[in-house]
Amino acid sequence: MKNFVKLAVVASAAALCLVACAKKQQPQTEPEAAPAPAAVAPAAEPNADSLAAEQARLEAERLAAERARLEAERARLEALINQIMSEDVYFDFDRSELTEKAKELLAQVGELLIKEERFTITIEGHTDARGTEDYNFTLGAKRAMKVKEFLAAYGIDGKRMESVSYGKEAPKVEGATEEAYSQNRRANFRVNIKE
Amino acid sequence: MEKMRFLVSVAAFALALLPATSHATIDTIAVDVGISVFKTMPIGVVPFAEKKSIDWIEEKPHLIVTRDANLSGRFDVISSDKFDLPKFSKAHAKHYITGKVTPVGKMLKVECFLYASQTKDMMLGESYVVEQKDMRRALHQFFDQVIYRLWGERGVASTKLAYVSKMDGVKQVVVSDYDGFHRSQITRDTTISMMPVWMKGNAGLYYVNFKTHRPKLYSKTFGGVERAVFPHLDQTYSPAVNPKTGELLFSSTVDGKTDLYIGNPETGKAKKFAYLKSNQTSPAWSPYASEVLFTSDRGGGPQIFAMGKDGSDLRRVTFMGRYNERASWSPEGDRIAYTSMDGGYMNIYTCALDGSDIVQLTSNAGNNEHPTWSPDGKLIAFSSNRSGSYQIYIMRKDGSNVTRITNSGENTSPTWSFFYDDFKQPKKEGKK
Repeated sequence: MKNFVKLAVVASAAALCLVACAKKQQPQTEPEAAPAPAAVAPAAEPNADSLAAEQARLEAERLAAERARLEAERARLEALINQIMSEDVYFDFDRSELTEKAKELLAQVGELLIKEERFTITIEGHTDARGTEDYNFTLGAKRAMKVKEFLAAYGIDGKRMESVSYGKEAPKVEGATEEAYSQNRRANFRVNIKE
Repeated sequence: MEKMRFLVSVAAFALALLPATSHATIDTIAVDVGISVFKTMPIGVVPFAEKKSIDWIEEKPHLIVTRDANLSGRFDVISSDKFDLPKFSKAHAKHYITGKVTPVGKMLKVECFLYASQTKDMMLGESYVVEQKDMRRALHQFFDQVIYRLWGERGVASTKLAYVSKMDGVKQVVVSDYDGFHRSQITRDTTISMMPVWMKGNAGLYYVNFKTHRPKLYSKTFGGVERAVFPHLDQTYSPAVNPKTGELLFSSTVDGKTDLYIGNPETGKAKKFAYLKSNQTSPAWSPYASEVLFTSDRGGGPQIFAMGKDGSDLRRVTFMGRYNERASWSPEGDRIAYTSMDGGYMNIYTCALDGSDIVQLTSNAGNNEHPTWSPDGKLIAFSSNRSGSYQIYIMRKDGSNVTRITNSGENTSPTWSFFYDDFKQPKKEGKK
């Protein structure tokens, strides 16, 4: 039984890796697929053909680089925002009102988002470990919503923001101490690249 | 009032113990016994005779029967190495259980008997030919027959529990027999699975999974495939199955606002259940699905409310304390079990339908959460971290007789199955 679980984990990890690898290769494989029919045709102008292939390769490289740059930018922004937010705990127990400190921090986040308009965000609301799973989902949702409302008032388009509640399912800090609890009553951000 | 009730129950109890009562009289008595405080019946248990030596891997049958009797909340077990009339008589054990085990090739023939202590009349006899690993389930079946014979009601020894178990750090949904044995894993995801509830007829489960990075409801029949239910709704959770129709009542959070929805999980059609300004979650059905309980935050913190299935007669149920959540309606219809937070700890309470007559069932033992009624209404299963880790426990509905049924890992959020439809009433035994 235990072995089976391990196997399943290994298998799913392998599957994940496959998916991840496949994703990374996409930028190269997609543009390269286009010239393929030309290769089937008689090689009347081999030079032009190889030129096209070369162009496609360069284009693919440029796209890959652009994506990598965007991804790095996205990760940087996400880290920056979450770092800003982690400087203070900003919800009291069973409350969803933003504290003054939280508002100051969210204003900084708002500034970043106004500057970086290619990015959209998912706001995740979280609770501490006390109480029921069900009610904590609703509480996390209220917290995420308060953050969204604040940012909307700050001038961020509602279409760039999505909110979700994780309830008490994704604690930042494990443990049953007030210290752990206060760290977990929070909102996190996921930054995404706008399609 | 209390005294009156006690007298009625004692009279009822004495009647129930008469060995020659017909089913009709037992039926009428069973109702009275159910509401009384005094309710256990002494019963003798004698080790099963073993024809030829048996290489026991599983627990011996009389120990399995003893555990069923203790867990059932209906009996006080009088153990004895052999039939002992003075002992049984002194303890008022008017009946006793014993049996005989005979190896038949690789199988075991397990004969189970219920006798009247005084007359030695056999009241029930069942025979099972099973592999040793399946003997426990055969004995559960027999025990439910015993309960039917002595109480005129169905017991829960053949029912199951679904709960959440942490495996390699990820919450998965598992199912086991009601006593914690025969556990099997239902979900195998890299993302959290939680909040399992039983489909009508126990054909499978509904539960929540996070594979889309949002809490969403899924269904899975046993041995079948997983299916998203109500995929068009955002953040769906807190499912409650209508025991009459199989419809699903659940929470959906849209733009930070949580409402109750009701829908048919087969067709995927769902509509808002109630238009309320507050957030609502943790719905629960009354036994005949005419009313629902739910939690609303309209007073700030969570409190329990009730209303008709048609949205009529909305009323608040809990007024004591600031955090009352996850109500569930007793199958007998007369009580509500719920969790309340006090001093940072969760504990389990019951109250009458109007919120009066509050009884605290757990205290001074860590967190005690997620009460779920046994389908006969006699027991409550719950999860507690009283031992240091979260495990599943069963207690009587008055909070007594707490028994741990899981032992390792982290196990939470049990939900009890419905009765299984394949129960056959015991045939009457003649004298032998």
